Amino acid sequence: MVIEVELLYYPGCSLKNSYPEFELSALEACEKLGVKLLEIPDWACCGVNPSLATDNVMRHLGVVHSLINAREKGREIGTNVVATGCSMCYNVFRRVNLILRDEPDALETVNAFMDDQPDYVPEVEVVHLLTVLREMGFEKIQEEVIKPLKGLKVASYYGCALLRPNKPEGIPIDDPENPTVLEDLMRGLGAEPVEFPFKVECCGNYHVALRPDIVEMRTRKIIGSAKSRGANLLVSSCPLCSYNLERGNEALREEERIPVVFFTQLLALALGADPHLNEKLKGRILSWMGGDGLA
Amino acid sequence: MDELAQRVEEISGQNVYACYQCGACSAGCAFTEDMDILPNQAVGLVQRGDKSVLERNTPWICASCFVCSVRCPRGLDVAAIMEGLREIKIRQRGFKKMDLREIEDLDRLPQIAITAVAQKFTW
Repeated sequence: MVIEVELLYYPGCSLKNSYPEFELSALEACEKLGVKLLEIPDWACCGVNPSLATDNVMRHLGVVHSLINAREKGREIGTNVVATGCSMCYNVFRRVNLILRDEPDALETVNAFMDDQPDYVPEVEVVHLLTVLREMGFEKIQEEVIKPLKGLKVASYYGCALLRPNKPEGIPIDDPENPTVLEDLMRGLGAEPVEFPFKVECCGNYHVALRPDIVEMRTRKIIGSAKSRGANLLVSSCPLCSYNLERGNEALREEERIPVVFFTQLLALALGADPHLNEKLKGRILSWMGGDGLA
Repeated sequence: MDELAQRVEEISGQNVYACYQCGACSAGCAFTEDMDILPNQAVGLVQRGDKSVLERNTPWICASCFVCSVRCPRGLDVAAIMEGLREIKIRQRGFKKMDLREIEDLDRLPQIAITAVAQKFTW
């Protein structure tokens, strides 16, 4: 498809380093949909978990640095929209941007500090890729599907960062208690969404570093529920959730495990782009879909 | 206002006296079984000016998942109150919650996990 929209894009560390399959499938699927994602120059780490301390804006400077670069680049190419694929990056960027938009004191403080860059003018809009796809319209995306994911039973796992908190207002991309955006996308791709009660429950977040037992307990419940509801796989938009879910899988017997993929990988597969799945998993997915060949 | 509650409010922007102890935060919390007191009890200790709350593990088990904050009928960001309690400790001279060298599988963790824990547990 001809490129119709150019958006700024913040990859973050996980898409660049830990999970290149997330970035590559996102970029290639978006191109199929006529969306070109332009990486913002000289971006910095988002910090993963936003500081909730209201008395210390210094914690946000990495994000401010990237937002300034995004705004400058956006002025060159004529857009103010920055999309992220990673839920954590989305949450931190969205939150900091809202704070800078709504709190003049915070904006003044960070601009006084960032004296090696132009002042930040909070006119950038931070969005998640799922919001971009929803606004494009899942019916329109359905029209571009070359290989419907027919027969594939997908449990959508949202985790926290797409949906919470709701203060400041404007962070959740969907209903925090009962989101449907991932299911709607999966339905558009021809897959069968599987409802399960753990879709918005936390995977354990940073506890994987110091208390992996907590993460294993959480993710085993999430996996067990999705499995017992009949899902073939879990779809995620968060690299930390995906990592933690794999830790849960490791703690389970092979037949109790469930593969975890990024939503962009299924999008790419359905659109005829490279899903960047390993061959074994791709084979399993095709067999769940009835095995009717796809290269 | 009590000194502890005031400090929590300065850091978190949350007025703990708005809490009427309904327990919705604790009911929704996915991590209570590893906590020594429930989230609403921790808020209650702050309301009473009881500094022993700073020695409880509850704020450190909180994973900042914000279920409590979304569900609080009084509109409190309970996760931010937990952050306030963590920050009071983290900002004390000599206090150290974590040492990267203590992470057993540091070499296999993705950087998102390491950055996440460092963001919450260090200055």
